[in-house]
Amino acid sequence: MIAALFYLQVQSTRNRLVTRFKRLKQPKYLIGAVAGGLYFYWYFYRYLFGGNGSGVTLNGTIPPEYLPLVESAGALLLLIIVVFAWLIPGDRAALTFTEAEVAFLFPAPVTRRNLVHFKLIRSQLRIFFTVLLLTLFTRRFGGNAWIHALGWWLILSTLSLHFLGASFTRTLLLDRGISNGRRRLVVFALVAGLVAVVWLWVRRTLPAPTTADTADFKAFADYAQQVLNTGPALYLLYPFHLLARPFLAPDATAFLMVIGPALLLLVLHYIWVAGSDVAFEEASLEASQKLAVRLAAVRSGNWQAAGKTLKPKRAWFKLTPAGPAAVALLWKNLIGVGRIFTPRLWIFVAVILVACFAGFGGSTHAQGLSTIVVMMIGLVLGYSLLLGPQLLRADFRNDLPMADVLKTFPLRGWQIALGEILAPVAVLASCQWLLLLFGFAVVIFMPVKQEPLVVAIGISAACLLPVLDFLLLLIPNAAVLLFPAWVQTGKEASRGIEATGQRLIMAIGQLLALVVALVPAALVFLAVYFPLKMAFGPIVPVPFAALAASLVVAAEAALGVILLGSFFERFDVTEETTR
Amino acid sequence: MVHVEGLTKLYGEFTAVNDLSFSIQPGEVVGLVGPNGAGKTTTLRCLAGIIPPSRGTIRVAGHDLKTDALAAKRQLAFLTDEPRLFDYLTVWQHLNFVARIYQVADYEKIGATLLEELELAGKRDALPGELSRGMKQKLVIACGLLHSPKVIYFDEPLTGLDPYGIRKMKDSILKRAHDGAAIIISSHLLHLVQEICSRLLILKNGRKIADGTLAEVTRQFSGQTGDASLEEIFFRATTDAGTPPPPPPVLPAARP
Repeated sequence: MIAALFYLQVQSTRNRLVTRFKRLKQPKYLIGAVAGGLYFYWYFYRYLFGGNGSGVTLNGTIPPEYLPLVESAGALLLLIIVVFAWLIPGDRAALTFTEAEVAFLFPAPVTRRNLVHFKLIRSQLRIFFTVLLLTLFTRRFGGNAWIHALGWWLILSTLSLHFLGASFTRTLLLDRGISNGRRRLVVFALVAGLVAVVWLWVRRTLPAPTTADTADFKAFADYAQQVLNTGPALYLLYPFHLLARPFLAPDATAFLMVIGPALLLLVLHYIWVAGSDVAFEEASLEASQKLAVRLAAVRSGNWQAAGKTLKPKRAWFKLTPAGPAAVALLWKNLIGVGRIFTPRLWIFVAVILVACFAGFGGSTHAQGLSTIVVMMIGLVLGYSLLLGPQLLRADFRNDLPMADVLKTFPLRGWQIALGEILAPVAVLASCQWLLLLFGFAVVIFMPVKQEPLVVAIGISAACLLPVLDFLLLLIPNAAVLLFPAWVQTGKEASRGIEATGQRLIMAIGQLLALVVALVPAALVFLAVYFPLKMAFGPIVPVPFAALAASLVVAAEAALGVILLGSFFERFDVTEETTR
Repeated sequence: MVHVEGLTKLYGEFTAVNDLSFSIQPGEVVGLVGPNGAGKTTTLRCLAGIIPPSRGTIRVAGHDLKTDALAAKRQLAFLTDEPRLFDYLTVWQHLNFVARIYQVADYEKIGATLLEELELAGKRDALPGELSRGMKQKLVIACGLLHSPKVIYFDEPLTGLDPYGIRKMKDSILKRAHDGAAIIISSHLLHLVQEICSRLLILKNGRKIADGTLAEVTRQFSGQTGDASLEEIFFRATTDAGTPPPPPPVLPAARP
């Protein structure tokens, strides 16, 4: 029977790969594959089996005296992961099967143990890919690729089995009337007890850390090493040390010396899982249905439905039946985003403000601290321009699978484009203005270095950010309409090297388009700034020049909306998308 | 109310709809039938302005769908077989949204009546995820009918409805036609077409092969006898020359 399940897995994987290769006949996938291949080669593969880029090995970059500490830190991390596996989940054991697998395998004469083995075979495939990626990544820092790969495989396989075993045990406990709450209480008490034991031991046997212990990294590392590598912590972390050691082995001999205990741990986990006889079918059935709903939601582009159970959300404003129709799309997409500026957020902001002023006010370093806060705000605003348009996707990127519905609306293309793009712009600009207000509050109530310049830049940012947001959001929206197969719609990204290449090409294209769009605004900025500078000095002209530049960007954005609208009108709903 | 002249839709070298012409008068219910791949959905999508035709003209309520698309779209509704709803909008929010798009001033009154009529009144604040497939279909219908369209296209309107829903849907279609709407129903359910359609349009490989009342089409394909069922007519009309139509199902003899 297991042979049939193995056949299913092998053929499914083979067919998936064949499909991927076949689609390379299409230029868009071929170009993407070439770009993706070059990217992976340049950043990862060339380091895999040859020399590494930095010329040092992993163990060469870490001084030998720190290796035990690194091992202990890794063991501690594994312990934390395992504790969370026992503490957090509350569901019954549910091996995730697809609906087709449930339909074919559950009514078939397949034993429960065989189903578990099928699940294990499939999880190995996932683990192999993860191992490959992790090895590509960690190999960049040096070390032997095979040792890294085997080390990662041991860690991930053992953790995967542990999660499965923990879910089986959880189900057994539930069947015996031990609720999740009671189980969590016991686990929490156990963990708290063990932490207390370690803490007491440290207090009694080790001298309290002095300022010298935290003065530099070496002193801190020495102290941490003493805590983790001696006394009860060492025993507590011992199994996790066994698991982490193969990965950190400096050479093949050392690896062979430590592989045995790690393999034994893996085998013990396998015996635990394979020996469990837990009824998981009902929960698996429910899980497969949820998975199917999630996939259907993703494929229809409604990724909000894919993430979690949706709850009805209040509208940001009342929508009357009269007025510009495009506002309806803004209203709809804002509901999709959810209410951000809730009373809870305002209370949070107020608490942060009060804490800042109370904390900094009396400090002798008030000016330095407030300057750091202002600089951090600037940094966050800069990142918001980069990341905001990628994260906020309540526009064509989400609604593209509903394009046929949008096309039946009696609206012009530019109206639909404007309505679609307004929601992310409104959300992003509101968040940025909120940050700016926070910054202005700091400047007003606290001393800040170069205050006039900071204020001038703040006002300029307030003018420029909304129109820049608009421009930045226009580009991916135009891209999704022009190259629907190349841009991720919905939450589920397409996979594979070719998809990575496609995304890379799109990102470069978007960057180029942005640079070109910003050239006229930059020229206008300079044209306004320099004449005014001669009359008013270097600071006063900044906001005026920024205002002029923002008008140019706004004009570009308006043209962009018209263009985007024409793209949408010409968009063929039968075009292939990434799904 | 709907006037189609020389409608052609090409996908590369493939012709999905080929030189299709027909007209529909107010109050008419036209059944659009044909085997899979005949071009029914493509035709409806072109008529709804979702995809542009490669050639030909479409006029809806006197407005050319190409040159005066907005005025034409204000008069029509396209109700698909697969409910297409926004997952994060509640039932009432869908109606609110559609009301603004179509500028329906008294949408609250009309919407409440529609929800009552479609037995969705108790689901005002429910999200589509909380609705059964039939209820979703009803919500799509409510949204489509909110602006009182003069032209309605139905693509498999009975999919997912229970017998009560089917009965109500048939009544609703006939009521709209009685009130003067021009209706096209694309369906594989020949008994539905036979029951409520006043005219039949049969497509095959993108071409119109029959257009007329049921009696006319029956005469055309049953050798003037007029005694064949619509199912029989369908097979005769859409089966290739020389290929015999599938035989009727043979029921096993009842046990003594």
